Amino acid sequence: MTFKRSALIALGLVLSCSAAQAETFKWASKTDPQTMDPHAVNSAPVLGFLNNVYEGLVRRNKTMAVEGALAESWEPLGDKGWRFNLRKGVKFHDGSDFNSEDVMFSYQRASSEAADTASWFAPVSEVKVVDDYTIDFMTKVANPLFPSSIANFMILDKGWAEANGAQLPSKEKENHATLNTNGTGAFQLDERQPGLKTVLTPFAGWWDKAEHNITRAEFTPIQNSATAVAALLSNNVDMINPVPIQDAGRLQQSAGVNVIQGIEARVIMLGFPHQAETLKYGADAGKPNPFKDVRVRKAVAHAVNVDAILKTIMRGNAQPASQLVSPAMSGYSKANAARPAYDVAGAKALLADAGYADGFSFGLKCPNDRYLNDEAVCQAVVSMLAQVGIKAELDAMPVRTYWPELRKDAYDMYLLGWSPGTFDAEHPIRFLAHTPNAEKKLGSWNFGDFSNDRIDEMLAPIQSEIDPAKRQAMLDEAAKILQDEVAYVTLYVQPLVWGARDTVTLTQRPDNFFMLRWVTVK
Amino acid sequence: MLAYSIRRVFQSIVVLLVVGLVAFSMFRFVGDPIDNMLGQERTDADIERLRGELGLDRPFLVQYGRFLTNAATGNIGISYRQGRPVADILVERAPATLELAAVSGLFAMIMGVGLGVFTAIRRNGIMANVIMTVSLLGVSLPTFLIGILLIYLFAVELGWLPSFGRGDTVKIGSWSTGFLTASGLKALILPSITLGLYQMTLIMRLVRSEMLEVLRAEYIRFARARGLRERAINFHHALKNTLVPVITVTGLQLGAIIAFAIITETVFQWPGVGLLFINAIQFVDIPVMAAYLMLISVMFVGINLVVDLLYFSIDPRLRIDRTVSEG
Repeated sequence: MTFKRSALIALGLVLSCSAAQAETFKWASKTDPQTMDPHAVNSAPVLGFLNNVYEGLVRRNKTMAVEGALAESWEPLGDKGWRFNLRKGVKFHDGSDFNSEDVMFSYQRASSEAADTASWFAPVSEVKVVDDYTIDFMTKVANPLFPSSIANFMILDKGWAEANGAQLPSKEKENHATLNTNGTGAFQLDERQPGLKTVLTPFAGWWDKAEHNITRAEFTPIQNSATAVAALLSNNVDMINPVPIQDAGRLQQSAGVNVIQGIEARVIMLGFPHQAETLKYGADAGKPNPFKDVRVRKAVAHAVNVDAILKTIMRGNAQPASQLVSPAMSGYSKANAARPAYDVAGAKALLADAGYADGFSFGLKCPNDRYLNDEAVCQAVVSMLAQVGIKAELDAMPVRTYWPELRKDAYDMYLLGWSPGTFDAEHPIRFLAHTPNAEKKLGSWNFGDFSNDRIDEMLAPIQSEIDPAKRQAMLDEAAKILQDEVAYVTLYVQPLVWGARDTVTLTQRPDNFFMLRWVTVK
Repeated sequence: MLAYSIRRVFQSIVVLLVVGLVAFSMFRFVGDPIDNMLGQERTDADIERLRGELGLDRPFLVQYGRFLTNAATGNIGISYRQGRPVADILVERAPATLELAAVSGLFAMIMGVGLGVFTAIRRNGIMANVIMTVSLLGVSLPTFLIGILLIYLFAVELGWLPSFGRGDTVKIGSWSTGFLTASGLKALILPSITLGLYQMTLIMRLVRSEMLEVLRAEYIRFARARGLRERAINFHHALKNTLVPVITVTGLQLGAIIAFAIITETVFQWPGVGLLFINAIQFVDIPVMAAYLMLISVMFVGINLVVDLLYFSIDPRLRIDRTVSEG
């Protein structure tokens, strides 16, 4: 009996002590950044997280526009490159001074064979240190977008990296920079336990004026969406990203919680095999590939009722997409903002015209854990296509087996989402629309081998045109060609849904980066 | 005894090798780690290069052989996802799982035996019947659902307990423990109940039926006739004789608790090896998956071995039979 009583007392004591969490801002996301090294992995969770700790020469503001960070200003050197004038008096977290040597070192590190970020520097021919606070990035051809394309190129301290043997990023094995940081950003890394928690504290010596009022920030990965929602509701965390779409409405109605919605940079689309001779799946496997006919691709575009998908599956949280980039990206073609109307009769007529009045059947490949509600979207597409008489057999799989399937051309139609890393319309043209060319590293995600001479011809001028009007004219032309040819059926721009306590004010950017420096807690 | 032990150890090693073989033959169906390791801007050449570096283009027998030779020298590989030695990661994560398993094992044991005895003694009581009915829920509801229900009740609605994680931990050497802080102890409650509920129910039902059996035995009736106190009869004479099968089951279930902690750890974001394994599957982190599976099978095989030997020493009849049969 005494044991029982003391056990009860102990339990009571445990329950009555409430955790001290007053000052700490806690947030959770599905994925833990797999490394603290800003050059080892080019993935959104890593870059987004490290943007709080490290800084680039330039950075993006609340509306995604590029502004100076470690570079105070920059100017083109004719059409050969860019000169960056670095900010003076900037300190790294360990107190050492920032200068052009650190930029040079970071460039060599980030563009090395071992780095995942090397492709950012493909246009660069040479980098020259002019003096302590001036550095020139020379490009092979004129490159008007270069400064904005390196907003995620983060600068680390040369002395620190060399002293700790982290001269090169390391992915295959651990080095000092995998678990430790030394940046110039608004927050410094206090504690890093991979997969458990990561603690940041404000950097007192930050060069910029702090807008936030955080004294300590703790990040925890929470894989399970239901757990994350419960953690937010029970006030165990202050912010979660993402909120599952189906929970957004309920969460919005809960007391003390806000749902913050926006659209991401990611466009979801259907892709086709443009070169395959035959269909590979379904009852018509082995028969000629109907998707080589542009009329069939057009019919698919008209058959899919995007508004219905958005209303039911996305609960009205997403926007239809007319082209490969969302309206928030630079180079978006306003002239081609209309997407094909939902038109069953028109689609049937196009199919009949192409000789498929009786329809056909084929295989649709789809991921089931990559994009928001991806499998449900594919199921909807299947039923919509059935209404115009073409029968899709859906094969949904986890993304870890999905990409290998697409690389093997094992599909008749597939679902793809694309978020342009540079936030510019040129990016998807380079990766999705240009004829695949391994040597030039072009068209590397163009699984369906779409090929159009005019697009291929325009890519280089688009990359180097300095006059914004001329550049936009080419982007408009490219968008028009891709629409006319139905290279892809663009469906919608993926929504972005975050949840936060109502005491929290924050900024949601379309790149899904969560920046602590804009967070205030009441 | 010695010959018996040696034979069992040898059998265990064979089992381990077979488990490894099966695991490695399955890995390529889990998916391809390459896409997760390279960024959006990778080229086909990068993919081929990395595949070659990791040896993923080799047949699985070669990969397994390489894993075994490395493991023999104490190197169980480097995580694809974290780029850190798997051994380090496992050492970091193991305390969380072991502490959770220990607490839920204890919970299952104490509550299971207690309630089992109670329901056996008062087998017609209202309370006992309520417990028996509710315990059906414990067996039939999936762990996942129980976890979510507990979270919603105690974390979201009542706000008494944390909804996820381990709370604050204290490091003792390389062992991080949650036993020494209030938040650590609070964080243990819900996951332990979730994880131990099934085992508790199992033990309870086992103890109950064994007790009912024993209570009908003649020596209990004689004990009663002698006028021994009810408590002495129930706990000293009856319970003791029900414990042999209970120990066997508990031992085997301890392995199950650790292995099936995966689901509980996912629901509660409990940073143990189970959660690590789930992450590894999502990322196709083959070195971590291989190490985890080998670890779990070592554990299962080890526990089985220990239970066998314990059984051997608890029940004298077995010992006599063995010595006789082994000559």
